[in-house]
Amino acid sequence: MKPAVLRRHSPWAPWIFAAPFVLVFGTFVAWPLLQSLLLSFQQTYGPRHAVFIGGGNFRHLLDDPLFWTALRNTATYAGGFVFLMVPLSLGLALLLDRPGLRGRALFRLVFFAPSLVGMVFVAMIFFLLFQIRTGLIDSLLHALFPAFDPEFPWMQDYVMTSLIVASLWMYVGLNMVYFLAALQNVPTELLDAANMDGAGPWQRFRHVILPEIRPVAGFVVLLSVIGSFQLFELPWVMFDNSAGPNNHGLTVVMYLYKSGFIVGDLGYASAIGWLLALLLIVAAWVQRRLARAEEEAS
Amino acid sequence: MRKMFAARLALLSPGAWVILALAASSSVAVALWRVPQRTGTDFWIFARQHLPIYQPLADQWNREHPGQPLHVSVIQFYALERRLLSGFLSGTPVADLMEVERMVVGRTFTGPPDDVGFTDLTDRLRQDGLLEKLNGPSLSPWTSHGRIYGIPHDIHPVGLAYRADIVEAAGIDMTQVETWDDFFRLLSPLMKDLDGDGRPDRYLLNFWPSPANRNLIETLVLQGGGRLFDDDGRPVLNSEANAHIVATLVTWLAGPRRMCIDAPEQTAGGDQMRANGTVLASLMPDWLAGAWENFNPALAGKVKIIPLPAWTRGGRRTSVLGGTMLGIPKTTADFEQSWRMAKYLYLSPASAEALYRNVRILTPVTSLWSLPVFHEPDPYFSGQKIGELFIRLAPDVPHRSSSAFTVPAIERLTGVLLSLRDYALQENRFTVEELRPEAHRLLDEAQREIAGEIARNVFVSQPAPAPAP
Repeated sequence: MKPAVLRRHSPWAPWIFAAPFVLVFGTFVAWPLLQSLLLSFQQTYGPRHAVFIGGGNFRHLLDDPLFWTALRNTATYAGGFVFLMVPLSLGLALLLDRPGLRGRALFRLVFFAPSLVGMVFVAMIFFLLFQIRTGLIDSLLHALFPAFDPEFPWMQDYVMTSLIVASLWMYVGLNMVYFLAALQNVPTELLDAANMDGAGPWQRFRHVILPEIRPVAGFVVLLSVIGSFQLFELPWVMFDNSAGPNNHGLTVVMYLYKSGFIVGDLGYASAIGWLLALLLIVAAWVQRRLARAEEEAS
Repeated sequence: MRKMFAARLALLSPGAWVILALAASSSVAVALWRVPQRTGTDFWIFARQHLPIYQPLADQWNREHPGQPLHVSVIQFYALERRLLSGFLSGTPVADLMEVERMVVGRTFTGPPDDVGFTDLTDRLRQDGLLEKLNGPSLSPWTSHGRIYGIPHDIHPVGLAYRADIVEAAGIDMTQVETWDDFFRLLSPLMKDLDGDGRPDRYLLNFWPSPANRNLIETLVLQGGGRLFDDDGRPVLNSEANAHIVATLVTWLAGPRRMCIDAPEQTAGGDQMRANGTVLASLMPDWLAGAWENFNPALAGKVKIIPLPAWTRGGRRTSVLGGTMLGIPKTTADFEQSWRMAKYLYLSPASAEALYRNVRILTPVTSLWSLPVFHEPDPYFSGQKIGELFIRLAPDVPHRSSSAFTVPAIERLTGVLLSLRDYALQENRFTVEELRPEAHRLLDEAQREIAGEIARNVFVSQPAPAPAP
């Protein structure tokens, strides 16, 4: 039997509570999504002129070399970033998880702090750091190794490296916190048992810690891949509102922005957005399938 | 009655009633909130440096016309761009008068002429006799399908600023510089390895196909007689003139005649390189002269300006970089009022004087060039009368396209330069003749790409026949 207080509730109560969210979601998410889906089947000319062209935008997209350049750049960035970020974040977390470490809280703060600043700020810092001659990186390397070229063209010939380095600076500390939380949840009795069985540090890591933190690692990888595919502000600001030299910094979202707001073809931009959404859904689905398969296998 | 009220009250928990009460009261408060309705004319500008010019003019106007107030607002460049385009796209409010930068305005011209959000000013400019008073080439960036949609704010003729202290100390006479070849020949002894590491520590010119310096490419292409688009807005990147210019520019960037470095204007790194003499010369439009004076005091008294060296002897000694117009959106409540204010803000002697005095920008109203302010010596530029220099250059400023595809075209031209530079370094080819065939191939590729983009927009690729303004 239900308690009296629950029995008194009106059947409308859940709807009343859900209404604000439904209204906001409907107005600012669902309706714009529907509009953008409709827009992706139209070609827009200037501010007020649109023509229905069916799947024309999507067909053009598949033949558009710039879209493929953007996709290739974005995938390269995502691969490079995730490949380096996961071991670095996990390594830092393992270092800071040692109980006897002095100043652990300070180190955590120091490593985490870059993620508190905005991406635009990071882009501006690294724009200055990577400047030829006057940037800290070229100046320092030239001072330490006089043979190093003080005009080393980071932002001309090493666009992706520059972007990945800047992103790592920002996100390694943030993901370190996820790993740290996961490490602190590894049952100590398992580690003690492994110790008693004579397992060394590597064996403990490989056979105890890694399986325990795998769900968090999967979560970090998935979020990082999604975040990487949404990369926009970092290259846009670092390369002075452009896609960088020879489009080496062109990402899918940047191409969407340029198509919609610089060339003025909002229909094409919408098509790019929907294709990107599809790619991310597929990536998330694959990641979940792999994770589930591993769980079942173990 | 009391029982019924209690039963109604019990429909929701006390917490839910509190939430509902707060929601209801705040909704009522918002609905009843009286937003003060500002009367008058709104004027949006994107450059903070322009505020000291316009605010006194607006104050003066407001004193003289108490019933017709003019409000000036500074809105950050990209925020203004977004609000402008959003306004034209979806009808969100925009100002009655708006300053718009050249790279932005083309985006408002991508649809049919009737859809352009700015009022067509062609006939009013003609009726008021202003077309003859304005510097001719300065109208081109604001003209689409033969119609003019803005009053030009400026001309932006380009000269060449150089470190007079270093150059003159070396005994070099800059009056001997007529062409870019002269410039390189006379100044190349100054390109020196100062710290003995085998690399030059001083370069002659700030120019590089980098994102921050990309607009300089168009400036040099236009100076040399090249173009990005023809009169119908079709891309013409692969022309003889463009190939020659691009190939020559690559010889400035690599090989035995390298003389350039990437020292972008208005960046900390670039300013440092200018201050410590790593780079000796910069392309200098009038607005940049003002920016140097306001933000780069380290160079005061150390620099001078000469006309831009020509590509060939007797060739054009200037070019153009940047530009702004004043547009009147079609949504303005009172066009006549906005038009009167626009003329007052842009074309009056007071505004011309304030513009030059504050930011060194030369007015496009040719009849005002006789104002004394343009003939004063400028201590920052070693006592030169730079106003007179810019007035001499102004009529020769090249025409420009207002194409919405200008930004993509400049980006592709930047890519061509970088690819050609890589080719030169790989193949060890550093003469213009050796580079020309590859320049044509790369330009052709870039032209086809941009033409492909334009072809998707029938209003740009097949422009309506345009009546002459």
